Amino acid sequence: MALRITIDIFSGRPNPVIELEGRAAIDALRRLRPGEKLKRGEAVPPPARLGYRGLIVERRGAGGADLPRTFRVADGRLFGEGLAHRATDEAFEDFICGSTGPRKPHMPRTFDSFAIRELKRFRKWYAVYRPPKIRLPKLRPACLCAPLYEPMWWNDAGQRQYGNNCYNYATNYRTDTFAQPGQAAGAMYTALTCASVRPAAIQDTLIDSPTANNRCPREGHLVALVIAPNWDFHWYRKGRNGLWTHKPGGTQATNLDNSGKLIPDPRTADRGPYTQFCTFMVVMHGHIKIR
Amino acid sequence: MATSRSGRQPAAWTGSASVFSGRPDPTWAVDDDVARELMDIWGALELWEGALPSAPALGYRGCALRDRAGREWSTHGDVVRLTQDRSTQSRVDPERRFERRLLSSAPPGLLPPFAAGGG
Repeated sequence: MALRITIDIFSGRPNPVIELEGRAAIDALRRLRPGEKLKRGEAVPPPARLGYRGLIVERRGAGGADLPRTFRVADGRLFGEGLAHRATDEAFEDFICGSTGPRKPHMPRTFDSFAIRELKRFRKWYAVYRPPKIRLPKLRPACLCAPLYEPMWWNDAGQRQYGNNCYNYATNYRTDTFAQPGQAAGAMYTALTCASVRPAAIQDTLIDSPTANNRCPREGHLVALVIAPNWDFHWYRKGRNGLWTHKPGGTQATNLDNSGKLIPDPRTADRGPYTQFCTFMVVMHGHIKIR
Repeated sequence: MATSRSGRQPAAWTGSASVFSGRPDPTWAVDDDVARELMDIWGALELWEGALPSAPALGYRGCALRDRAGREWSTHGDVVRLTQDRSTQSRVDPERRFERRLLSSAPPGLLPPFAAGGG
């Protein structure tokens, strides 16, 4: 019959370990016998913290069958497999840590007073400790089907960057032709207005989704059409993290608007002269054709 | 909606504005007289070794003049930068004379009103 008791108190250096055998071990087991079951609010093992955290008791050989092989003693409470009880002797830790208890190998004489001080401090803290309520962070709705934001791939200062515009980028479809809505279907827009560019994109098999309201589709990914009235069109695409990115003409793809801010919603982004928000549309991967 | 007004022969000097996103950016032929004016302006500018002004993502982002030899003078804000054979030289143009003169050489109606000096 033997007990190995670790005073769980240090962080960097090894904790002091006490070996009890024979009568000393039997006496310790008697004092540690499970008593009253802990109430719900008490059955909370102490979390990791700096300073005294309890005793770790390892039982070796026969004896103490009403206790698990390894368990923790903290402020007179016993914690282990199937164990959440008060110890018969709730002052057992005072005995182990104090100067009247067993000798602590490799520890200076001053350790006992240090351990007792720490034990008192621990009790004071543990008496009022309540485990924090864990609130899982609200995850932004993930757009799992949306293309990756990989600006380095588009921003090659060469053919990819200069040959592909906002429409290529938003549809994630490289053509190197500065693609124009409707051109592949022989039905290119005839004016730089929502009324003209939107049906041209539909001819390319984009799906008009005016009520998408910035929500990711189940399949494909969301894009948004805006217009600089009578001068130009521009497209954004919604990424996997729910934020929008775009590629103005032959310039670099970016996740920032004209004010240098991230784009949670293109309707409210700083869009410079592209003052008209036309619609959201869905790009079904493999369905569209642009040129 | 023409965006390019180059003649049959490649122009000796070509102007362009970085201004659109969906459509190709507009380009136009620059007369020799205008090009000479621009070279005079360039010649009078002082060297600049600071950072280049940043341009917004959407809207007017600057303009450029190119010649047949592949030299390009690009400007945005108060800095003009010459790129030639992978080397660059920047000069400061506090009154933006180069930019305004180049943009004013574009045919009427080619540039959107939101291009600085255009319209």
